[in-house]
Amino acid sequence: MKEIIRAAVAVIVVSALLLYINSQLGKTSGSTGSDTITVYNWGEYLDPELLDQFTEETGIRVVYETFDSNEAMMTKVQQGGTSYDVAMPSEYMIENMKEEDLLIPLDHSKIPNLKNIDPYFLDLPFDPDNEYSVPYFWGTVGIAFNPDLLEEDFDFTSWEDLWRPELREQIILVDSAREVMGMGLNSLGYSLNSTDESELDAASAKLDELTPNVKAIIGDEIVEMMRRNEAAIALTWSGQALDMMYINESIDFAVPEEGSNLWFDNMIIPKTAANVDGAHQFINFMLDAEVAAQNADWVGYSTPNAAGLELMDPEVTGDERFYPDEEIRERLEVYRNLGPEMTGEYNERFLRFKMGMN
Amino acid sequence: MGKQSNIQKFFLTIVFIILYAPIFFLIFYSFNSNGTMSSFESFTWEHYAAVFEDTRLIMIVFNTVIVALLSALVSTAVGVLGALAIVYLKNRKLRNTLLSLNNVLIVSPDVIIGASFLILFTAVGVRLGFASVLISHIAFSIPIVVLMVLPKLLEMSDSLIDAARDLGASGRDVLTRVIIPYIKPGIFAGFFLALTYSLDDFAVTFFVTGNGFSTLSVEIYSMARAGITLTINALSGLIFIVTVGLVLVYYALNRRNRTPVTGVKK
Repeated sequence: MKEIIRAAVAVIVVSALLLYINSQLGKTSGSTGSDTITVYNWGEYLDPELLDQFTEETGIRVVYETFDSNEAMMTKVQQGGTSYDVAMPSEYMIENMKEEDLLIPLDHSKIPNLKNIDPYFLDLPFDPDNEYSVPYFWGTVGIAFNPDLLEEDFDFTSWEDLWRPELREQIILVDSAREVMGMGLNSLGYSLNSTDESELDAASAKLDELTPNVKAIIGDEIVEMMRRNEAAIALTWSGQALDMMYINESIDFAVPEEGSNLWFDNMIIPKTAANVDGAHQFINFMLDAEVAAQNADWVGYSTPNAAGLELMDPEVTGDERFYPDEEIRERLEVYRNLGPEMTGEYNERFLRFKMGMN
Repeated sequence: MGKQSNIQKFFLTIVFIILYAPIFFLIFYSFNSNGTMSSFESFTWEHYAAVFEDTRLIMIVFNTVIVALLSALVSTAVGVLGALAIVYLKNRKLRNTLLSLNNVLIVSPDVIIGASFLILFTAVGVRLGFASVLISHIAFSIPIVVLMVLPKLLEMSDSLIDAARDLGASGRDVLTRVIIPYIKPGIFAGFFLALTYSLDDFAVTFFVTGNGFSTLSVEIYSMARAGITLTINALSGLIFIVTVGLVLVYYALNRRNRTPVTGVKK
C-alpha cells in the first residue's frame, strides 16, 4: 500500500512540476497580459517569429493552434466549445461556412492595411466585397515535371501535352475530384465550374483517353515521389510543387495556357470568436507590407499582398511559375460552390474515371 | 525453457530488427543536414537545436505527458475500485452485464468515442482544451485498468480474506493490507497501460482538443500538409532516449528492492 501511495504522490509531483514549467514557458513565449486571441491555421503556415512581434506591438498574446483539413476546422467551429478568433480556411470552405452562418462580417475600418492587397485578389465570387474574408496566400493548379526523366523537351504550356502517347505511365494525378475534372474541362476550353451535362460528358470522355498515361492517383505522397525521382509528371497545386522543388532542384512547374484553377487560403473570423477586436488587429497586422513579405518568405507560397511583394526578392516575385503574369491570370478561375447535387456529380464522374483505370 | 535453438534465436533477431528498424531509421535521419528523409548529406545537430528553440512544441510535449500521467493516475484509482465492485457483486447476472459493458468500451472504435465526447462536451458546455482531453482520456483508460486488475482479483483465494478477518482485521485493513498488496502488480500494469494508451491516442484527442491546447500526435498530424520536418525526427529521437532511460531506471530500482513474487507484503 505504501508503495502505491508513494508512486501516486510521485506522479502528482511530476505533473505539477511539468505544469509549472509549461506555465513559465507560456509566459516567456508571450506577454503576461490577459488579452489573448486564438489563431487556427494550417500546420507550418505562419512564421512563428511574427506571433512574437504581434504580441510586442499590441500586447495581445497569441494562442496558436493548427489543423490539417478545412473540414476538421469547420467541425471544430461548428460544434462550439472553442473560441477561435482567426482561422485560415480555403475559399470553398468560406462559402460553406457562410451558408451555415459561422462567420462574423469584417469591419473594414479596422483593417486599413487591406489597401495593400492586389485588387485582382479582392471582391471574388466566393466572397463579394470581402465581407467576411481577406486573402492570405494563393496559388494555382498546374503540372510539376522533371525534365531529367523525360526523353523529349516538354514545357507543358498546354494541357494537351499530357495526352501525348510518349508519356505512357508517367503521370501522377492528385486524388481530388475538382482538380482532375477541372483538368479535363480546361483541356477542352470549358470552364472548370461547368455544370453543363454535355461539357462534363466530353470532359469525362477526354479523361478516359488519358488513362494509359496515368501512373497513379494519390494524395500528399506525390511530393515525396516527385522528390525521389519516382515519377516524372504530376498534376498538383503550386504549393506542393514548391515543396518538391525545394528539395529536388530539377523539378519545374507550369500552368497551362488554357486556364486552370486559382485557389486561396483566407483569414476569417469565426462566429465563436471571443476577442473580435483582437482578431481585427491580427488580420491588419498580417496585411502589413513588411510582415506579409517576411511571412511569404518563410512559408514560400504566393502572397496577394502587393505592397509586400515590392519588399521581396525580385527573383522570387518575378518567377512566373508562381506569380503568373496578367495574361495567364486572366484565364485562372476560382472554384465555385456547385451545390450538393453537382458536387455529387463531379465526385461520381471522378470515381468512374478512377474505376476505369484498371 | 531450455536452451534456445538456432532457429529460435534467428527468429527473435528478425522480430527485433523489424520492430526497431523504423525507429532507428527515423533517428538516423534526424542528423541529416539535407533536411529530408531521402538522402543523407552530412551530420548536424541543427534539428535538435530547433526542438529546443520551439517553445510551442516543447509545451505540447509536456502537455501530452501531463495528460498521460494524470489520466493514468485517476483512471487507475477509479478502475481498481470498479474492479473490486464487479468482483464482489453478489448478483451474477448484474456482474456479467457490467463486465460486458466494460468490454464494449474497449472494443468500440476510438473515432466513435471521440465523436461522442465532442458532442457531449459541446452539449454540456465544457470548453474544449485541457479539461476535455483529460476527462476523455480518463474515461477511455478506465476499462483497460479494470481489465488488468480483474484477473489478479479473481485469482486471489478467498481464504486470505477469511484468515485476515479471523485475525481481527477490519474491513479497511483487509482492503489496504491484504487485497491491494496482492493485486499490486495488476494495478501497476493497469497504470502503465493507461499511460501508454493516453500518450498514443490520436483519434479521441483529435476530436476534443481546442482553444490552443494540443497533444503531440494531433500536432504532428496537422503538419502533414506542409510536410513533416526533421525537427519531429529529432524530437522522436529524444523521446526514445528518455523512454529507454526510464525503463533502465525502473529495472535498476526493481532489482534493488526485489519483492517476493507471491505472498502478502505490508
